[in-house]
Amino acid sequence: MSQKIYITGLGMISAIGNNVPESFLSLSQSKTGIGKINHLTTRYKDEFLAGEIKLSNSDLADLVKDNNPALNRNSYIAMLAAKEAVINSGIDTNDGLRTGVISSTTVAGMGKTELYYKELFEKDDHLDVLDTHDCGDSTERIADYLGNVDYVTTISTACSSAANAIMLGCRMIKHGQLDRVVVGGVDALSKFTFNGFNTLMILDREWCKPFDENRKGLNLGEGAAFVVLEGENALNLRKGKPLAEVAGYANANDAYHQTASSPEGYGATLAIKQALTMSGLKTDQIDYINMHGTGTPNNDLSESMATVAVFGKQVPKFSSTKAFTGHTLAAAASIEAVISVLSLQNSMIFPNLNFTTPIADMNLIPETKLVNTPLNIILSNSFGFGGNCSSLLFKKA
Amino acid sequence: MVLEETVHPYYLRKHNILSKAYINGTGCISPQNTIDSDWFFDSINPAKGDYFDAIEPSYKEFIAPNLLRRMGRAIKMGVAAANIAIQQAETQKVDAIITGTGLGCFEDSERFLLAMLNNDEQFLTPTSFIQSTHNTVGSQIALIMKCHDYNFTYVHRGFSFESTLQDALMLFEEGKETILIGGIEEHTPNFIILNRKALKFQEVLTDRPIWKSSTPGIQMSEGTAFFVLNKTKTSKSLASVDGIQTLYKPKTAADILNKLVAFLKLRDLSLSDIDVTLMGFSSDVNFDSKLQELLPAIEEETVAACYKNVCGEYHTASAFAMWVATKIIEKQKLPKVLMISDKEPDSIKNVLIINQYLGINYSFTLLSQC
Repeated sequence: MSQKIYITGLGMISAIGNNVPESFLSLSQSKTGIGKINHLTTRYKDEFLAGEIKLSNSDLADLVKDNNPALNRNSYIAMLAAKEAVINSGIDTNDGLRTGVISSTTVAGMGKTELYYKELFEKDDHLDVLDTHDCGDSTERIADYLGNVDYVTTISTACSSAANAIMLGCRMIKHGQLDRVVVGGVDALSKFTFNGFNTLMILDREWCKPFDENRKGLNLGEGAAFVVLEGENALNLRKGKPLAEVAGYANANDAYHQTASSPEGYGATLAIKQALTMSGLKTDQIDYINMHGTGTPNNDLSESMATVAVFGKQVPKFSSTKAFTGHTLAAAASIEAVISVLSLQNSMIFPNLNFTTPIADMNLIPETKLVNTPLNIILSNSFGFGGNCSSLLFKKA
Repeated sequence: MVLEETVHPYYLRKHNILSKAYINGTGCISPQNTIDSDWFFDSINPAKGDYFDAIEPSYKEFIAPNLLRRMGRAIKMGVAAANIAIQQAETQKVDAIITGTGLGCFEDSERFLLAMLNNDEQFLTPTSFIQSTHNTVGSQIALIMKCHDYNFTYVHRGFSFESTLQDALMLFEEGKETILIGGIEEHTPNFIILNRKALKFQEVLTDRPIWKSSTPGIQMSEGTAFFVLNKTKTSKSLASVDGIQTLYKPKTAADILNKLVAFLKLRDLSLSDIDVTLMGFSSDVNFDSKLQELLPAIEEETVAACYKNVCGEYHTASAFAMWVATKIIEKQKLPKVLMISDKEPDSIKNVLIINQYLGINYSFTLLSQC
């Protein structure tokens, strides 16, 4: 059980770039990807902002080099990000070791289903959406795109999904079930999720302002991010190079409300504390926290309370990077895992954009400018509907 | 079929085997009368032509009225089955809640989708959106039980339930004592209409058993089965779970048999040690062809049986199969309606489930008398 787990490859596509180098450029230039809605069809197109990937479906098909009409936006972006991670790591899925793919999504094929659903009852043209609507579809597309994958599964725990995929990947290796695993999450924008969040009245019409007293809600984003996890045995066998170590993880449940977080952030506190306990790290060893920080009044207050509950007066430097990417739901935690590894590698804290006034009584002030500072340990939080709270700890390799 | 020794050097390491766990309680809602604890295949409800509906209980016994009013059908079925399993296990507290579902709360998803499409994205209310998320059942159970511990939801087609079991076995090695796992699936009238239109169904002919199908088409179904698992054996233990393995897109029947032999060998067993093998024939010849090819080898060593002739086909039908396996071990009897082989088993110690979903997702689950 003591095998160390390393991140050895990164892949990401979101509003801030179609790959990891582009994403890094946007982050280091403090350039948000959130803007006017171009690709999503919705009557609210001109009223709200979103973090869209800047490519159309046919652009994505060209990049994936597959014109299979059954592929949807969720699958395209998942395949691209997973492939980038595998190429980046240098692993060869044909070498006989056991490779897994553990993905996560909330929207799955809904983005295509919603376009044709009513038509399905009258015509026969798009009945293939019945086969691609479910969450497992994009995961199996990834597996087949990579080739020689022994194990697949998919997780859906709302906005904490990808954190749980990373956690499960680590555990599968530690228990000797797999030698390495491509883990992450994907969610393309859909009218369904957009309207869902709109009915909950937690969308900001302006740029989101995480941790600001006057925050009004979140901006939705879309994206996919995957990392390659390898146990030290498999990594040593091929003499590979680690990018970072997964030093700890934990999953807890707030058990407070189906959508809202408890005011005191009980579940979040549990997740952070348990991840620290597992890693054997002390609170003063955490150099930076990549917060969940969606920009909703409820989440940011609850997360602030949890942060103070764990760290007391010595809260580490922190920021939410959701004002760059928008809230990418199931992909959020893996996008933020990639961002955390980029932070460790480049000794950079990426800023919490759009912040001006701290939340009354909390007095927590995020980093609002790019900070160049050596980083050894990063905590990354992800919380979701259903009280699902997960925290991950990344260590410089 | 020729068996090949193609196992990877890492594959046979002893530490790869997760320790067994014990089933202390079960709760099952299915197209059959499984809600009644005395029912044991004495009367069988046939399919409604080309699909099955689950028989739902009176939920008032299991769920508080204020909660019940808002819940979608999948949530009600899941919470009720979880409740039955917990009552049977006589446990107050679980250390983890892990659910598996292929399509999640489909009724709520469809309700929100249609409201959005019919009203051009206006006048929408959030309730059905909130309940449409796949983790709703797991989180509702956590809310009701006030369980702040580990909570996971798997959503991978025919591996959704298998993943819950695999996760639970790992969690036991990490120190958890009692874990609730379950598979949940619901269908809706529209979903049936569309799948029928896509030619995914067939009415199984009465003159041809499910394992001899020569035509495509399944019988769509729904249901939920929950299990309270325990790390150690107690006086409540009904059976043990000795192993779980998933196979993604095996190429041939021989490939499946090779993996099965290796799976059993890791547990110091061979096929002849298996008393009953429950096989996931779905009535669609395209999906069943590898199992059909495998059947003679299985029948040679064990007593072969089926289950989708009584529960239909759905993403988490393997949860129903595990309920059946537990019941067979407990009662020491294999019901006639499930039998493929002519011979009856002498005693029932080891029961193997070979499930398949769409001919893509295969799994082995091994249960034993304890």
